[in-house]
Amino acid sequence: MVRRLAGAVVAALGLMAGLWLMLAPFALGTQPEGRDWTDPTTTEFFTGVGFAVVGLAGLLAFAAALRAELVARGLMTVRAAAPEPQPEPAQAAAPAADQDLAALLAPLAAALVEEMEQRGTGVQGDRTEAPPAPNGRARDFDPFAGREYR
Amino acid sequence: MSKLGVTALAVLFLGGLWLIAAPFAVGYQPLGGGWVTATRNDLWVGALVSGISFAGLVVYAADALRELAARGRHARGREAESVTD
Repeated sequence: MVRRLAGAVVAALGLMAGLWLMLAPFALGTQPEGRDWTDPTTTEFFTGVGFAVVGLAGLLAFAAALRAELVARGLMTVRAAAPEPQPEPAQAAAPAADQDLAALLAPLAAALVEEMEQRGTGVQGDRTEAPPAPNGRARDFDPFAGREYR
Repeated sequence: MSKLGVTALAVLFLGGLWLIAAPFAVGYQPLGGGWVTATRNDLWVGALVSGISFAGLVVYAADALRELAARGRHARGREAESVTD
């Protein structure tokens, strides 16, 4: 673990040295303003770019290796990604909607049951006197005739 | 992943050496004259980068050897225990 930590520190220093090299010609005034880049400027700038890229790559590599070693030793736990929450507003609103619908239909259902009871007694009493249907079959009471149910 | 990091350290070490040699190799440091500002900057930064990256390589190699030695002692200890049993 020590070597990976030391490597990460050295790589970070290399990254910072690269950034400094990119800035140095302008910070130290060795690059005249408004003129083409001189040889020292070109050399320092592109060497600095190389240092920065290599230092960043080394830093990331050592950091990943350090993390893997910490996980392997049990000093660090990898948290699993939290599952995405399922939308539940529709499920929560469903019972209230059912109650409203039941309260709305309760008087209708009671009236329907009462009417069915009245007609049921009337049909039994008047079955012989009921006029025949036009197609010749007996006329039966169908409270749900003409309604569509899903 | 560590191999990539060690490679980066080696490249930084070589880059530092290049930075030390650059003023004379590219030619913006006049021979026999006093050091110009760019030369001084390159020498300092190059020396620091190469020195620190070399130290990092040494630390890496030393720690790897220490771990190998510890594993070897551990393995020899187990062999001795199995022989005595």
